[in-house]
Formats: sequence, structure tokens, C-alpha cells
Amino acid sequence: MTAIRRWQIALIALGLLLFLVGGITLLNDVNPKRYLGIALWFAGALVLHDGILSFVVFGTNIAMRKTARRVRMPLPAILIVQGALVIAGIMTLIVVPAILKKGIGTGNATLLPLDYGLHLVVFYGVLAAVTVAALAVYFVVRRRRAA
Amino acid sequence: MAVVVGRLLALAFLVCFGTGIYSHFLQDPLPWMVFPTRPTFLYQVTQGIHITAGIACFPLLFAKLYIVFPELFQTPLVGSFRHLLERASIALFVASSLVQIVIGLINTYQWYQLFPFPFRQTHYALSFVIIGSLAIHIAVKLDLITKYWRKNKPVAELVEAPEPAEAPEPADASTGSATARPNLTSDPVRNAIIRTEGVTGRLFDWIDTTPPAEPRASRRGFLTIVGIASAAVVTLTAGQSFKIFDVTNVFGPRKQGIGPNGLPVNRTATAAKVVDAASAPDWTLTVTNGDESKSYSRADLLAMPQTVVELPIACVEGWSQTATWKGVRVGDLVDSVGAKGGISLRATSLEQNSSYAVMNMGPEYVRDDLTLVALELNGDTLDLDHGYPARIIAPGRPGVLQTKWLTSLEVLS
Repeated sequence: MTAIRRWQIALIALGLLLFLVGGITLLNDVNPKRYLGIALWFAGALVLHDGILSFVVFGTNIAMRKTARRVRMPLPAILIVQGALVIAGIMTLIVVPAILKKGIGTGNATLLPLDYGLHLVVFYGVLAAVTVAALAVYFVVRRRRAA
Repeated sequence: MAVVVGRLLALAFLVCFGTGIYSHFLQDPLPWMVFPTRPTFLYQVTQGIHITAGIACFPLLFAKLYIVFPELFQTPLVGSFRHLLERASIALFVASSLVQIVIGLINTYQWYQLFPFPFRQTHYALSFVIIGSLAIHIAVKLDLITKYWRKNKPVAELVEAPEPAEAPEPADASTGSATARPNLTSDPVRNAIIRTEGVTGRLFDWIDTTPPAEPRASRRGFLTIVGIASAAVVTLTAGQSFKIFDVTNVFGPRKQGIGPNGLPVNRTATAAKVVDAASAPDWTLTVTNGDESKSYSRADLLAMPQTVVELPIACVEGWSQTATWKGVRVGDLVDSVGAKGGISLRATSLEQNSSYAVMNMGPEYVRDDLTLVALELNGDTLDLDHGYPARIIAPGRPGVLQTKWLTSLEVLS
């Protein structure tokens, strides 16, 4: 038996042991009536991510590359724009629940005390400015190289 | 690339797991457990890291899932029983990871209505499922990982060579029908084209006419974006836990200095339904040791020797802030009823119907000179929302155990 094989067996055994601990914890600490709720969240996560989000991101990526070729925009420039969109998207996912929860109301004024909507708009603005600057740098470097 | 991002994500998961377990046992200790009380900022740091690393998991997990996206379309979708098991385990891993970081984030916003399950118990149970899945995932991919690590070649060479190390799935383990396959490339989109046939294959054929990015640039660009995104989410939220990030804290659910006594609040006196009982002029703190018992009014407590300590209040939700607390040493109070040596203590709050209304404290905290029944906070009378007339403050414990609106202290035999 090779060293890798031994490691594999040990890791799988460890994994199964941890599954057991997790399962026992779930059985002991969570009312069975709530299992459906957990299962719903699991299914929801897979549907939202694998079924919707992934395809939107993938489709956007393809569409942008196709458009780039049509308008003769170099690919690295497209990658810079895509990178900015990705960063904006992730930040949006994290901050929008805060905005919504603040809208519904919080237990006290020290929870979610900031103007998250405004901050998000400012963040988009700064990100857009940085993206334009990065594009400018890219095109300047490209022109110099070509010359 | 799957290995590079996977390594970072695994590290973040393990950090979250370790700090989470520590937090769990601080709250629910096993009988033999003793905890360190120094450095006083220990829990502030471990829990701050727990939440911050959890937030950093968002870009890392999305990056990892983006890289392995083509794996969704393996042909055949399920090739053998072993393959079914593998795919099911991946689905469990992905779903539990997504649920874990999302409920963790939403819990810091206290949006409990979204949970059709108890947060704390579910988050705890899922952590074992995730780390177990991680161990199994690493075991299955170990050949690839070690190959990747042993390949001590320059990056350019790595990218140009056909890259089994970067393929998210080993060709021989993924399906039973691993017939001769074209070499995989470093581009996940192209891998998908190679790996699929049929309707999806035609779809990808259309996609195939899309100009591919130059591999090296796109690889470097991808990792740069993941790096920037991770740095951004950390920098703009970590101020809730770490003072050095306070200036850039624009998205954290808490802000240092905001709140009564210049400190955020988790549960208000109104929410705890203690406003009347806590404001009553005849309030007393009862300290008992077996048959011996003494009652202290707030004036009595203020007349005793006062100690000033600088201690953080650190919430399990990750936010924390250091503050100046003034009050009576818990050690002095238990001595006044004849308690000797290392004893445990039970503190009870005026709060009703809360699982944290009763709190047990081990001897390491009871006998610590920094553990106080606090009466003042940041130079002023303790605010009602911070536990007036008196609360516990001890070094290195979660905020939920810094019991507010004290009514009794009982020495446990």
C-alpha cells in the first residue's frame, strides 16, 4: 500500500466519523420537525447556485466575449470589466441582505447602524472609477508595445 | 487553479471550524474544561477571525464553484454506483457549504425569520458535515493534489502542458467509461466542450466559437480578481471585529462607538423585558454560599473597593469592542460569603425566558482579578441596555456569558 493510499483511507475514515458526529448532533439538538426546513435550504442553495447563478455568470461571460470580438475589443479589456462585475456582484450579495433587514427593522439602533444602500452605491462608483483607470493603463501599455 | 483556490478555501473552512468549536465549548463546556483568560482579547480575536474568514469564504467558494462548473455536465451524468456516490457527496458538500456561509452571514444581521430551523444547532451540526466532506473530497482528489504539489515547474510550463492537476476531476475516477479523452486544458470552458456530447455538446459547440482567453493571462487575471474580491469584503466589514479596520468599516453590521455608553448592544432591556425590574429602586444583588447569603444594593456595591479594567465585549456574531469597566471584583463578593479557593459560580439575570438568563462560570474566571460585577461603563453609569444595575464582565468569554441585569450570584459546591 502506498503512502497516498494510506492517507486516502485515513481521510475517508475521518470524514465518515465527522459525518457521524454531525448526524448525531443534528438528531440530538434539532427537533425533527425542523429537518424539512434544513432540507429546503439545501435544495434552495443548489437550485439558486447551480441552476440559476452559475448559468447567468456563464452566459454573461460567453456573451461578453462574443460581443468583444464583434466590437474588436481586446480580450484582456473584457477580463478587466468582467472582474469588476464579479467583485460588484459578490459585494451586492453580501450587502443587500443587510439593506433589506435594516428596511424591515432591527431589534435595536446599534444593529445595522449604517446607510448600507448609500455605501453600496459609493462602492459601485469607486469600483467603476478603478475599472476605468485599469482599462486606461491597459490601453496605454498596449499602444506603447505596439509602437 | 481548482487546487490553488481549493487550498485557500480549505484553509478558511478549517479556520472557521477551529474558531467555531472553541466558541461552542466556551458556551457549552464539558465538565472538565478549563479556559485561558489571557490574553484578554483571545475570544475577541478568535471570533473576529471566525466571522471575517466566513465572509472571505464568499468570494473563495464562488471562485471554486466557478472553476468546477463544467463538472456539472459530465457525460454520462451518472456512470456507476461509485460515481453516483461521488456526485452525491459533492452535492452535499456544495449545498452545506453554501447554506453554512449564508446562514452565518444572515445571523450577523439577526434576520432569524429566514431560518425554519434553530441557527446555532444547525450551524454547529453542519460544520462537521462540511469538514467531513472536505476530508473525503481531499481523499478522492489526493492523487491530483500531490501531483500538483510535486510539479515544481515554472508557471508557464504548468499552463502550457496538458494539465491533469488542474482538471477538477481525475479522468479514471470520474466515470466508469474513461475511454481515450482529449487532453484537458487549463480553461474550464474548453474542458466542458471536450467533456460533453449530445445536446449540451452542440450548445458548447456554439460556445466554442467564442474566442478563448490567453490561458496565462486569464489564470493570472482570475486569481487577481479572487484576491481583490476577498480583500474588499474583508476590508469593508472586518472593522466590526478589528479596530484597525474601523475606518474602512462601511458594510459591517456593527460600528465601533455606536450605542449607549459608546458601545453596541445585542439585546436591549426592552427586548429582555427587564425594564421595570432593572429600574426598581429596591433592586439588590444576592450572593449566596450554601447557608450564607448577603444582599447588596447598588449603593452597597459602589461603596466597596472599585476596580477599573479594560476588557473587550465580544459577541458570538463577531463584533467586538474594548471598553473601560468599573465595579466590584467577583472574587471579593464570593469571599464576603465565605467561599474558599477555586469555586464555580452561577449567575442569574432578571431576564425571563432566555437560555442565557442563567450562566455558569468556572474558577479560572471567578478568581481572575479582571472579572467584575460592573457598575460603570466608559466613565458613566452602566446603561440599562448594557445591564444596569449590574452585569458581569470577565476576560476572554463570549458576550452572551457576560450576564446583564444580575440578580444573584450563587457559589456552586
